[in-house]
Amino acid sequence: MPVVDNDKAAAPATETTNAAPASNGEFRPKILAFCCNWCTYAGADLAGLNRMNYPADVRLLRVPCSGRINPQFVIEALNKGCDGVLVCGCHPGDCHYVTGNYYTRRRMLVFKRLLEYAGLEPERFQVRWISGAEAGKFRDTVTQVCEEIRALGPIDVCEEVAK
Amino acid sequence: MSDIQDKLRARAKELLESGEVKSFIGWEAGRFENQTTPLIITDAKDTDRIIYNEYCANTVAKYVRDVKPNGKVALCVRGCDSRAVNRMIADLDFVREDVYLIGLPCSGMKDRKTGELFKKCTECRHNNPVVFDEMIGEPAPQMEPAEGRFDVVKKLEDEPRDERDAYFDRIFRKCIRCYACRDVCPCCTCRKCFVDQHRVGWQGKQNNLAENRFYQLTRVMHIADRCIECGECERVCPMNLPLMEFNRKAIMDMNDLFGEFEAGLTDNEPKSALITYELGDVEEFM
Repeated sequence: MPVVDNDKAAAPATETTNAAPASNGEFRPKILAFCCNWCTYAGADLAGLNRMNYPADVRLLRVPCSGRINPQFVIEALNKGCDGVLVCGCHPGDCHYVTGNYYTRRRMLVFKRLLEYAGLEPERFQVRWISGAEAGKFRDTVTQVCEEIRALGPIDVCEEVAK
Repeated sequence: MSDIQDKLRARAKELLESGEVKSFIGWEAGRFENQTTPLIITDAKDTDRIIYNEYCANTVAKYVRDVKPNGKVALCVRGCDSRAVNRMIADLDFVREDVYLIGLPCSGMKDRKTGELFKKCTECRHNNPVVFDEMIGEPAPQMEPAEGRFDVVKKLEDEPRDERDAYFDRIFRKCIRCYACRDVCPCCTCRKCFVDQHRVGWQGKQNNLAENRFYQLTRVMHIADRCIECGECERVCPMNLPLMEFNRKAIMDMNDLFGEFEAGLTDNEPKSALITYELGDVEEFM
C-alpha cells in the first residue's frame, strides 16, 4: 500500500469543488463520510482546531445521529460515484439520543455483509465509532480509509451513470 | 385432494351464508390447463368456483389487506399463507379477529408448465399451517427441504469477489423493475413504497444497473429481519431472478449475529432483529 505524504497530497487550501484531480495525475478518491453531529463531527472539529493534517479527499456530511443514516444513502452515494463511504458515530453507550447507535450497529453489521456479498470491496464501506475527543482517531481513520481506497482505484461506476 | 376441495366449498358456503364472514379468499381455475388464480368471493352462490389442487401456486394472504374493510375474511391458509398472516398481524396490518383461517394440508405446489414442484416448495420447511381456526383434512407429512437452507448463499460467499460481483451485476442488469416481488411480498406492506415516491426521488426511473441495484438492495434491507422465506418473490419474477439468494444472505447473517430467529411462526413474536438491540451486540466497528 503506497504511503501518502499528506503534505504533498493535500489539495490547495482553496480546494472546494468535487473535482480535485491532483495536478500530477495521481488518483484522488472521493470519499463521503457521514458524521454524527455530537461525536464525530465534534471530533473532526477538534482535529481542525489542533491543525491535524488529513487528506482532503474526504467530504463530511453531518447527520443528527448515526441512526439517521439510511442504508439507501450509502447505496446512492456509491452509485453516484463516491469511491468510498465512511459512516461514523458515537461509541455505543455515548449516543446523544441514548440508543441511536445501537440500532445503527445492528443495521450496519447486516448491511455491510450484504454489500460485500453483492460484490463491493470491504474497504469501500466502513463504519467507525469516533468520539468528540478523538481527533487523532478521526485523522487516522480518514487517512487510513483514503489510503486504502487510493490503492483500490476508482469505483467501477456503471456506464449509464458515468455518462 | 378433491375430497378436501368439496369440504372447502361446503364450508365456505356455510360461512358466507351464515354471515360469519363477509368474503372468502381462495383459488379458482384459470384460463389454461392446471392454471389457478386467486379468488375473492362475497356471495355464497359463487362457492362452486373454489378449487384446491396441487397447482394453487399463489400465496393469497396479502389480499386480506384489500378486502378486510368489508368485514371479516375467510382465508385459505397453507404453511406459507399462515406465516404471512402472522407476519402481517405482527406488522399491525390487521388483527387476528379480522380473519377466519381455514387450514389446508399442502405437500408442495406444482408448476403447471413443468409439472414439477416450485422451487419455493422444495425449500419449504413449514408446509402445514402454523395457525388456523379450523383444519380441513389431515395435516400433510412434513416436507424435507432438498438442500440446506443456506447452502447456495455459502457457495456464493466462497467465490472470489470479482466473480460474485459479475454474477450479481448480471442479475441486477436483468431486472426489469416491474416490482412484482414487492407487490407479492407479505412483508412489503408500506402504504407508500419508496419506489412510488416520485417527488422524493429515491428511485430513479431509468432501468440501469445502478437503479436496479439500488432497488434490490433496499428491498432486501427493508424486509431483512421480517422475511418469512415464502419464496413468492422468486416465483413471480418474470425474469426468473434468484431473489432469495439476497434474502437468505441477510437472514443467515442475522442468525449468526443476533441469534436464531424465524419470522412468521407466531403473531406476537419477539421484536425482529433490526428494530431492537442489545448492549452486548457484536462489535466490529471500534
